[in-house]
Amino acid sequence: MSKAQTTQGRTDWAEDDDDDAITLPPTQINKNKDGTETIISYRLDDQGRKVKTTRRIKKVTVRHTVNPRVAERKQWAKFGVEVNKPKGPTADTTSVGEDIALKLSMNYKAAQQEEKSAIEQKKVSLKETKIKCRICSGEHWTSKCPYKDTMAPEGEPAPGVADDEGSQNEGVGGLGQGGSSYVPPHLRGKAGVTGERMGGGKYDRDDLATLRVTNVSEFAEEGELREIFGRFGHVTRVFLAKDRDTGRAKGFAFISYSDRAEAQRACDKMDGFGYHHLILKVEFAKKST
Amino acid sequence: MRPVLLSGHERALTQVKYSSDGDLIFTVAKDQIPSVWFSANGERLGSYSGHVGAVWTVDVNPDTTLLATGAADNTMRLWNVKTGKLLKTWEFESSIKRVEFSPDGRQLLGVTERRQNVLPSIMVFDIIPDVDAEQSSEHALRIICDESKATVAGFSYNAKYIIAGHEDGTVTQYDGKTGEYIDNIQAHEEEMQVTDLQWSPDRTYFITSSKDKSAKLITTDDLEVLKTYVTDTPLNSAAIFPVKDYVILGGGQAAMDVTTTSARQGKFEARFYHKIFEDEIGRVRGHFGPLNYVAVDPTGKSYASGGEDGYVRLHHFDRTFFDFMYEVEREAATGRL
Repeated sequence: MSKAQTTQGRTDWAEDDDDDAITLPPTQINKNKDGTETIISYRLDDQGRKVKTTRRIKKVTVRHTVNPRVAERKQWAKFGVEVNKPKGPTADTTSVGEDIALKLSMNYKAAQQEEKSAIEQKKVSLKETKIKCRICSGEHWTSKCPYKDTMAPEGEPAPGVADDEGSQNEGVGGLGQGGSSYVPPHLRGKAGVTGERMGGGKYDRDDLATLRVTNVSEFAEEGELREIFGRFGHVTRVFLAKDRDTGRAKGFAFISYSDRAEAQRACDKMDGFGYHHLILKVEFAKKST
Repeated sequence: MRPVLLSGHERALTQVKYSSDGDLIFTVAKDQIPSVWFSANGERLGSYSGHVGAVWTVDVNPDTTLLATGAADNTMRLWNVKTGKLLKTWEFESSIKRVEFSPDGRQLLGVTERRQNVLPSIMVFDIIPDVDAEQSSEHALRIICDESKATVAGFSYNAKYIIAGHEDGTVTQYDGKTGEYIDNIQAHEEEMQVTDLQWSPDRTYFITSSKDKSAKLITTDDLEVLKTYVTDTPLNSAAIFPVKDYVILGGGQAAMDVTTTSARQGKFEARFYHKIFEDEIGRVRGHFGPLNYVAVDPTGKSYASGGEDGYVRLHHFDRTFFDFMYEVEREAATGRL
């Protein structure tokens, strides 16, 4: 489609081959009144299409005093396994990790201990929960009840709502007690033990400051999204759903901010924003239940 | 704080060092190829190929022209920092576990391992601080540690003393010129190896870390233990922060026990302690193996940790990091104004 645009007026596609030498208009630089500059430049992309880039920039001189020895070393040529590699970090050896909050505090230890004791307390309370059979109220699991084939659970007409007393479920993980009462894992009660997740809740994010962006172009990239949404505040996470086979975006993304106010601002500004050829829809991600 | 991950090494990191201006980071690992990186952006500048065994240790001279490395191939090597060229190889009868330049860069020490019929020792060489000079093959000084193997060693201010940490938890002071034994203290618990020794900026005191789960701040002149930082995990490294009163400790469960525990229990975190009040003030997680070394930028802008997991994590501090003060510190600061 875009090919057709660049070769407007032509009817014969065969002529495409010899238009390698499209003359590019010269770069224009316009000085604006507010001290910014608008630069309009043209280039050919890897498929020979003409690309027009309009940039509005503001030049700010930041003075940075650098030790002359350090400045000299910055110019050193690469050597060893890095020889002949271009300037700048390469993706195979250098990457940026997840954001880490280092908050120094005087009573770091005490805070840690509190956290620990909360876990201990939970353990104790779990130990104290009594096992109670739903059929005969005896102290054993319902599935082990000697009467399970002869009696229906007391006060429970329909199988399937097996889950109102969480304590009965631990151990068997809420899986079908004496009937067809399968309960999907996310509906099982607290004691349905989801198991400790690795990394100790590393991925527990603040859903309140997370935006769901839909109607995203399939050519979107995480970096671009981070850049666009980064204008409104500190983006802690960008997740762009991608098709596993084609690697293209599936059309939705999640953006997490460190602060809800920033997320709110981004939501207000970006909803309805034209990105690539589509109009973005931005809303707060609903907390999954 | 977004850490930069340097993933150029294929095996566990053994040591990480900053240049004296803080702009370069030298890393060595068990994969035989030392690397150098720019600390500002984590870009790899180059590597030094030549060793044929795990590289245990690295040090750079004060004007960042010469790099020394020690490895399990029984050699200590000297490199041109700028080009990666090998300048000199010293061969020994056992592997080199620690190298360090003197503060003026004119001496280099290497700590050798114990082997059958080979006594562990500290070898000192005179260095001509010029990349084109022919370096001497003969050692200037040899200190034999026949009682207990030295694991770490370094030069004090003006190279007046050589301080060594030993396998049995002791710290020894030797004369820097003659190598004579002067003093010895049981700094750490008996039979608990001293794993690291790093200097304060002026080298009048230093910090040692040990497998006994503690780190100690010790004076150079009379080996007096000033402070003790107690943790709940064996320590592999300890560093003194230059511009604020913090120390950074790194460690974690021994590599051989790691597979039996989760990342949380392994305690693979860098711990920040207040240098004076000895309190823990914060932690930085991220590694999924024990931290083998922590190094601090001499200008205080960043710190780097090398882990058993093969990553170097480079952290540039946020501004809030420098603003933190204890109540008494704040009072003192406002009182001065």
